[in-house]
Amino acid sequence: MSEDQPRVLTASVHDFRYFAALLRGVNFANRASVSITADGFTVTVEEARCLTATAFVFSHVFDEFIYNPDAARPSQRSQPEDEDDELTATAFEIPLGTLMDCLNIFGTAGLAPGASQKKKRSQGDGDESDGGVGGERANAKGKGRADDAPGNTTLDQWFAPGKGTGMRMSYAGPGHPLTLLVAEESGGPTATCEITTWDPEPRLELAFDSDAAVLKIILKSSWLRDALSEIDPSTEKLTIIGNPPPPPGRAARSSAPPCFRLKAVGQFGSTEMDYPNDREVLETCECARPVAFTYRFAHITRALRALQSSLKTSLRIDDEGLLSLQFMMPAPRRPGRRSQAFIEFWCLPLEE
Amino acid sequence: MRFRATIENVDTFSKIVQSVEKLQKRCTIKFGEHEMRIICTGDANEGGIQVWSYIKVPSLFTDYRIQSNSGNEICISLPSEALLAALRSAAGSSSVQNSSSAVAADMQAIMKLAKKGEKSVLSFEITGLTAMGRSITVIQHILIDVLRHSEVERLKEPLCPEPDVHILLPPLGKLRTVVERLRPLAADGVIFRANHSGELQLAVNTENARVEVGWGGLTNPAMSTQSQDDSDAKDPKRMHGVLVSHKCLLKFLNSHVVSTTTIACICENHCVILYVYIGNVADAGGVLTYYIPAKFDDGM
Repeated sequence: MSEDQPRVLTASVHDFRYFAALLRGVNFANRASVSITADGFTVTVEEARCLTATAFVFSHVFDEFIYNPDAARPSQRSQPEDEDDELTATAFEIPLGTLMDCLNIFGTAGLAPGASQKKKRSQGDGDESDGGVGGERANAKGKGRADDAPGNTTLDQWFAPGKGTGMRMSYAGPGHPLTLLVAEESGGPTATCEITTWDPEPRLELAFDSDAAVLKIILKSSWLRDALSEIDPSTEKLTIIGNPPPPPGRAARSSAPPCFRLKAVGQFGSTEMDYPNDREVLETCECARPVAFTYRFAHITRALRALQSSLKTSLRIDDEGLLSLQFMMPAPRRPGRRSQAFIEFWCLPLEE
Repeated sequence: MRFRATIENVDTFSKIVQSVEKLQKRCTIKFGEHEMRIICTGDANEGGIQVWSYIKVPSLFTDYRIQSNSGNEICISLPSEALLAALRSAAGSSSVQNSSSAVAADMQAIMKLAKKGEKSVLSFEITGLTAMGRSITVIQHILIDVLRHSEVERLKEPLCPEPDVHILLPPLGKLRTVVERLRPLAADGVIFRANHSGELQLAVNTENARVEVGWGGLTNPAMSTQSQDDSDAKDPKRMHGVLVSHKCLLKFLNSHVVSTTTIACICENHCVILYVYIGNVADAGGVLTYYIPAKFDDGM
């Protein structure tokens, strides 16, 4: 097709690592639904009909974001402009793993500047191995400490904007591929990728009723990540237990039930981890009554990559046990822009 | 038959062996009076990649002595992994040597042909210093087959048509990163193409994606066999391509450890020939020539 044909979406960014970090957080199933609106787009994947994960990629992640919903259906241009929001969203499905492979074609997608080559190599093969890169990013930014990284990592991250790999993405409408143009540096190689798209299929809709939330916790992602990565991978079930915090003003007794406990039961025994109700650890903890819901551990660990690249996690459970995990990603390096990007997971509990 | 040489440049030798080691379990080495050729013919490996190398004796050896009935040439076949292991141990002892900054003359690696009972071996006598500073000699024997004259005659370099395009490749290390990343998409092979305007493209097609990685601003070296008006007659923008197996391409890219300059010659829909120069082109200590045959597929 010709270059000047109107396109539904054109987006470009000079350094796509932030965008890649968002996508990597949900990159555990190959088929992903993409839904584009004027504010940005969402990428959703699901597993086993009980886990869905969505990355919210806002338009300000990009240097340029042009959404033109009418480009694909010129015949309807005569229709009145006051269409529903739903109509102005464009949806399609893509192979997310392939998209990630294409972004990472120069080996630059997961790399914070200054991170070692070795980490880059091991990435992409195993679930665990590719975490190190994103984790370092979170460390450096979130906690202002970088024990394993060279001391100047944090500075490099802010002062070496020219190092990134640029990307231009466009989509011409149903039946057309998603076209990606990736260029490492001016004069260097460029990659042109045409990624097959499919018509959207109905997705599992998990609606979290925030009024019915029985447990609300906000904590640093690293606290949850460390706990989850500590648990033996053969573990099948993970129970999340919440208890009402003791009334304020009174010192917590050691015998009091913990506010937040993770209990893992596996082949080799069980593990229990308690989080103290300390502002240092649990930023907020709201719990009306004692609750305990059990989830498949394999599903919870899908969130590890998102945990690795995020700053804070909001964990909520409603009265039916639906778990909602929201991961707040570090703000893109653009002063004066609006909301932060985030990734959300919803997971259904196991019936007991 | 006599053969004995001191390996002066252990590091380069082991890098050369490292570049060809992955191709095939056994390789053939032909020692001549002035050059050493390491040959891997394609019959025993998948995809049919071949290497024919030509390394000048002075760039690796000193005290090089060779004597045989067939024109002072000796042709042996040996397990490439064992050769690499022997060279690595020599390189290891030399690095210890350097770090302790003792007299370099103490470190020596001598390679010679010997008999061990009924069997022929290539023996490596490596003298170095231990961590304590004492001199130590390690001798490694690699079992080899000495090839008969008739077998040597059968080794023939592949014949190729006049290449459609010659192009200087970007640094192989960088190329390797990209080719490695193409792996999940390259089940049907990689299209390797170039034109006369300094453009090189690697392309893969699968049902999930079509990816094309392009380099520009490369050099098309002038070839002496090609007259000037001949290249003018061709469309400089036209791409000449060949579909090759991804595995073969990666095997060739193992030579990034030793490469400085690499020229690719593409015979459209026939093969790619890659000349990996050791040292700079003008004063090359040798060249590794890789032949990667075309892979025939309906995707072409």
